[in-house]
Amino acid sequence: MAGEARGLSLRQFKAILHKDIVMELRTKEMITSMGLYALLTMVIYQVALSQSGTAFDPRNIAAGLLWLAFVFTSMLGLNRSLVHEKDQGCLEALLLSPVDRPVIFFAKAIGNLIFLLIVQVLTIPVFAFLFLQQGSYAGEWWMIPLALLAGAIGISGVGTLLATMSVNTKGKDFVLTVLFVPLMYPLLLAAVSATSAAVLGGDGSVQQFWTGMGMMAGFDAIMLLASFALYEFIVGA
Amino acid sequence: MTEPATIDAAVEVRDLTRTFGARKALDRVTFDLPTGAFLSIFGPNGAGKTTLVKVLTTLTAPSKGTAKVSGFDVVADAVELRSRIGLISHNPLLYPDLSAEENLVFFADMYGVPDAATRVRELLVAVELDHRRLDLVRTFSRGMLQRLSIARALLHRPKVLFLDEPYSGLDPHAVEILDHLIEQIRADHTFVMISHDLVKGLALCSHALILAKGKVVLSAPREELDEAEFAETYRATVGLGVA
Repeated sequence: MAGEARGLSLRQFKAILHKDIVMELRTKEMITSMGLYALLTMVIYQVALSQSGTAFDPRNIAAGLLWLAFVFTSMLGLNRSLVHEKDQGCLEALLLSPVDRPVIFFAKAIGNLIFLLIVQVLTIPVFAFLFLQQGSYAGEWWMIPLALLAGAIGISGVGTLLATMSVNTKGKDFVLTVLFVPLMYPLLLAAVSATSAAVLGGDGSVQQFWTGMGMMAGFDAIMLLASFALYEFIVGA
Repeated sequence: MTEPATIDAAVEVRDLTRTFGARKALDRVTFDLPTGAFLSIFGPNGAGKTTLVKVLTTLTAPSKGTAKVSGFDVVADAVELRSRIGLISHNPLLYPDLSAEENLVFFADMYGVPDAATRVRELLVAVELDHRRLDLVRTFSRGMLQRLSIARALLHRPKVLFLDEPYSGLDPHAVEILDHLIEQIRADHTFVMISHDLVKGLALCSHALILAKGKVVLSAPREELDEAEFAETYRATVGLGVA
């Protein structure tokens, strides 16, 4: 019986994830809006820093700029991922099925993670081209994808939970922003620290990187467990 | 989970109360519905009809009282119960950016339907949408959406079907098709239908119930109902003329 239930949960997980990916590939709503937003943010950064002079080294604030763009970009996508479930009562139909609510959470969170990673992959080369001159990248190359992945997991997990909470509210964009940014604060600090270590390199950068990664791993674990436990209550509210 | 020992009553509702803040949407609602029956629920807007169906389909938890459907408690056995009920609403509950077939395959996966491809094809033929199976649902007319919605609700062979104003917004041809589909599956299912149409609701039902302000005003088997008396009670309760 337990094996049967696990098999059904896996089938449901794959069905929700597959459905979200197929719908996104068809409509391109999330990727287009998130990708464009991220790229436009890069352009705005460049304009903002264009008068900073040669003495200013953009690498010092590169990590902060990157994560600022990712946080706001992800909020745009997170709302959309739940809004299409609300269309024509689809969320109700999903909740009517014999699915454990955490299965819905994990499938939606993994879907959001995939879309955010795609946007990150598209954004990083543009960012490097605009702000990191050739040869100025001083860290270990493998640190960047690890830091981006750890940060994206936290953003997707917490974001999916909060987007589910806010989707039934009147000012859902506002509610998501108000809840999301304060909750993400510890993760952002750690992500910026780890990414900075990766970009700037130098003495102690490896230690700084792993400290940041440890904090992100802790945040991801706590928040994912909390989301797992709370999702049934939140999605049924 | 095994089936409950006795399921003579498909629906058992006892002192069911649901409050939203200070407002009582359902107020100590009590009734039974035998297996295989067709219950039509009537009442004015805000009477608590949709809330009752939401509680019976596990979408909303009751504040007080108990309700069992097919012998399963709507709170304690919610997951098991969900695999035994279907809902056809005036809202199609379908993904507009998936095709008819993709929608049904998705819900077949959600319900763990064995040999999903065959079951999906069988239902698409039954609702006369096989020729449109690859078309996106957003291109469907209201009648086609409702037919596909019926196929979605029947995928997992539910024992009890809830119909929330299923005829709302349908053209006469779509009404005919829906009537035909209900007639086809009538013998194997228990139905609970919300209706604003007294004539239609009475024509279909074996049991009738009138709700007003969250309370049961009248509940009786169809054969015990005097139509004129029922219409008068309905008119007095609803405060509207009867078509």
